[in-house]
Amino acid sequence: MPVRVIDSTAPSQVSGALPGDTRPPPCSLLSVGQAFTGTQNVSSLQKDEAWRVNVRIQGCDLDRGYLCGTMEALNVPMADTPVITFWEGEIVDTKNFTFYTGKWEAAPEDDIRHWSRFTSFSQFKSQVEIDGGKSLDLSSNPYIYMRWKEQYFVNVGYDCGLTIAGFYYVCFSCSDGSINGFYYDPNSTPFQKLELKTMNEGRFGFSSSSYEFQ
Amino acid sequence: MPTPSSAATATHRLPEDVLPLLSSLDASERLQALREVKNQIIGNRTKKLSFLKLGAVPPVVSALASAVEDGSDSYLILQSAAAVGSFACGFDAGVKAVLDAGAFPLLEGLLSHPDDKVVDAGARSLKMIYQSKFAPKYEFVPGKPMDFLHSLLNNENENLNALGLSIIVHSCKTNADQKTICGAGILEKVINHLDGSINLRDSCLESLATLVKANTDAIAQLVTPVSGSGFPLRSIEELIKDKSPRTRLLACSFLTVLRNSGPTHLLDETLKTLLLDTLLHLVDDAGHVGDDALFVLSEYIANKEDMQSLEGYYRHAVIKLWDNFPDDPLSDRRLSGTLLALAELFSVLESCRSELFLYTKALDRITNALTHYNPEVRVAACICLRNLSRSVQYVSAGRLMTEKIIKSLVALLQDSSHSIQVASLATISNIVVDFAMRKSLFMNFGGLKELIELSKSMESNVRVNAVRALRNLMFHADKKCREKIFSDLTKTLIECLIQDAEPTVQEQALAMVRNLVDGSVSNIDFVFEEDCIILNAVCKQLHNAEVVEVQIQGMYVLSNIASGNELHKDVILHHVAPEAAGGSDSITIKFLQSADSRLRTATIWTIVNLTRPSTPGPGAHRRVERLRSCGIISQIKTMVNDPCLDVKLRAMKVIEQSSTEGDGSATL
Repeated sequence: MPVRVIDSTAPSQVSGALPGDTRPPPCSLLSVGQAFTGTQNVSSLQKDEAWRVNVRIQGCDLDRGYLCGTMEALNVPMADTPVITFWEGEIVDTKNFTFYTGKWEAAPEDDIRHWSRFTSFSQFKSQVEIDGGKSLDLSSNPYIYMRWKEQYFVNVGYDCGLTIAGFYYVCFSCSDGSINGFYYDPNSTPFQKLELKTMNEGRFGFSSSSYEFQ
Repeated sequence: MPTPSSAATATHRLPEDVLPLLSSLDASERLQALREVKNQIIGNRTKKLSFLKLGAVPPVVSALASAVEDGSDSYLILQSAAAVGSFACGFDAGVKAVLDAGAFPLLEGLLSHPDDKVVDAGARSLKMIYQSKFAPKYEFVPGKPMDFLHSLLNNENENLNALGLSIIVHSCKTNADQKTICGAGILEKVINHLDGSINLRDSCLESLATLVKANTDAIAQLVTPVSGSGFPLRSIEELIKDKSPRTRLLACSFLTVLRNSGPTHLLDETLKTLLLDTLLHLVDDAGHVGDDALFVLSEYIANKEDMQSLEGYYRHAVIKLWDNFPDDPLSDRRLSGTLLALAELFSVLESCRSELFLYTKALDRITNALTHYNPEVRVAACICLRNLSRSVQYVSAGRLMTEKIIKSLVALLQDSSHSIQVASLATISNIVVDFAMRKSLFMNFGGLKELIELSKSMESNVRVNAVRALRNLMFHADKKCREKIFSDLTKTLIECLIQDAEPTVQEQALAMVRNLVDGSVSNIDFVFEEDCIILNAVCKQLHNAEVVEVQIQGMYVLSNIASGNELHKDVILHHVAPEAAGGSDSITIKFLQSADSRLRTATIWTIVNLTRPSTPGPGAHRRVERLRSCGIISQIKTMVNDPCLDVKLRAMKVIEQSSTEGDGSATL
């Protein structure tokens, strides 16, 4: 996916929402370098299990509705080391991407079923059922909806016994940076829940870094 | 009319034997020598150089001057004028010698000679001169009639027409020139020659491209139908399919200029794809046309407007260019053209970058070009790698942080050319972001030392690029790298960079300090060393800076420090809400009232962090009281409906935390 040339920190490049801009607003908690920690519930009928997960955002291009980063699963039973994957995200911004996935074996019904698990989505549901949410105004919504798709394993081979065939429906809270998600893969346990909170590295407040591509 | 005998052309004498005869008092001997020089140097660069070194140009020009002055027979004038033209043809040293010998006014004089053949010879030789960058610039004076240019373009003599078109291509350099020429009605005259001979048509396409480049008025004039006949775009479209490769190239070049300078709808999708197809085919030409096609292709791709819709074409272009990647180390122009065209393809589209990574040796071959003897190739290779390294995916995977790439780029930092240093710095800037934590590799090859040296450069462009690279190197660096960068840079140099005369350098230096104090809480201590020399420099710059980007980065430094322990928070409180200041004097309030939401966001995060306690106790309460007493809390209360949601949410957080007065219950 394309990456913005100038200042990829880009959490808030514009002076407030521009008139007529219906995209979700920039949020400094969702900028490059930000880290999140939490769990993914991988429970099945046979066992109750949750893996610890760390996520770090590495790239962000709001103009193209693009986000990417790494995801680290820490206590994966079949792996000797933490398993790191690189993922790319689509931000539901009504311009580049709508609530309808249109790929990755996700039908509109699957989309609605997953998005509906987020309480904040209820206000948009009826419109999404009509046009995928193309005509919605998300500029003042304090939640950002995304799809995260893991692209490759960073530190283990594809024979590690794990799959990255599916993708996550993600809801990010601009207020506190918390992230909720549901993993979707027709061949995996349904509705595996991802819950993340901002990682502060022992700090008492918000801290950030930035880089700038040329 | 006499013609050179076959015997004369077949047996060439040595240049040193011919040279004395050019000044012979015997006219026939002089004529014979002139003919011989002309015949020997036509299309032969080596011979031109030999004669030039022997000083043959001044006697040839003298022969021309004498022939003109004497009013002698036209044949002597013809031969001497043609010899002058041959020296100038495609040979800059020849042009300089011809101009130095005073040939230019003599040739101009020939244009009004009664003999048409002399006029032809004069026009052809002048055209040769105008094809060189050393030719004198024809001055286009606004309001002054361009009788000379009109007379050339209106003439029935095609050589005079071609000369007029060459003058435009050579001398029209600015938008003011374009306006003056078009205002004098020259544009219509140029268009009329599209129907001329092949050579004239090619010159016409070149002139048109010169006149419409970034000139919306001329484009409007071109596309507006006059007296029922509009601009013959359709006929140019036909020229894209012409059998002459050079004509096809010039037609593509003109349409590329038109597309990049004119309204978006000017070229329809069919024409755009035809243009791209044609350029990709022209690249196959092994000669100059193929070389030049690469540069036109670069120009075409540089316009990002169609990037998404033509993505498939662009991916095909990567394959095509890569399949044709020149192995011949001597074809410098082709190599730099290929690298620049690839660079444009990689500038935005990740799919094009991915296409290249499918080739196993791709990175190796581009990296090899970094050490090419030709500086233009080295710069092109840097730009190509720079754009390739805009891929977070590949930087994240550490694909570009290899020993070979880093060694070559670091070596270029020592190049004597600023443009090469800057190109290398830009590429390094991207690569050292390195999410894979291999920053030490760059430092082990001497990269840090070179960056520090260049951050002291007198050239501000070099300095800002070096500091940007240091900023990116500091981004998420591990503890060991962070300490090494900090100690090698020295506190004094960091202070100097923060206070640099250039705001762009100040911004990058502050962003570097922001990165320095991010991460582990202990990183904050770096800016407290030696009586807070760095922190004081940051605060001083925040008070003095007028550029918002500098203010934003400075404020993020304070915000990061304010996310530390109680001591850190109290020190920052002292700077954002000093006892002495209050109300409108406070830069904090000024920044919170900024029209730029980025600055409001950075500032309000500092306040969020200050109102959040690090340990249970009176600290947060005390800070809230101080912020309240100097009007900052009141200001923030007015921001709960800020048009920027990010600011609005942080304002609400400050109010929430300040109302609990630091009881420790609030979290981020």
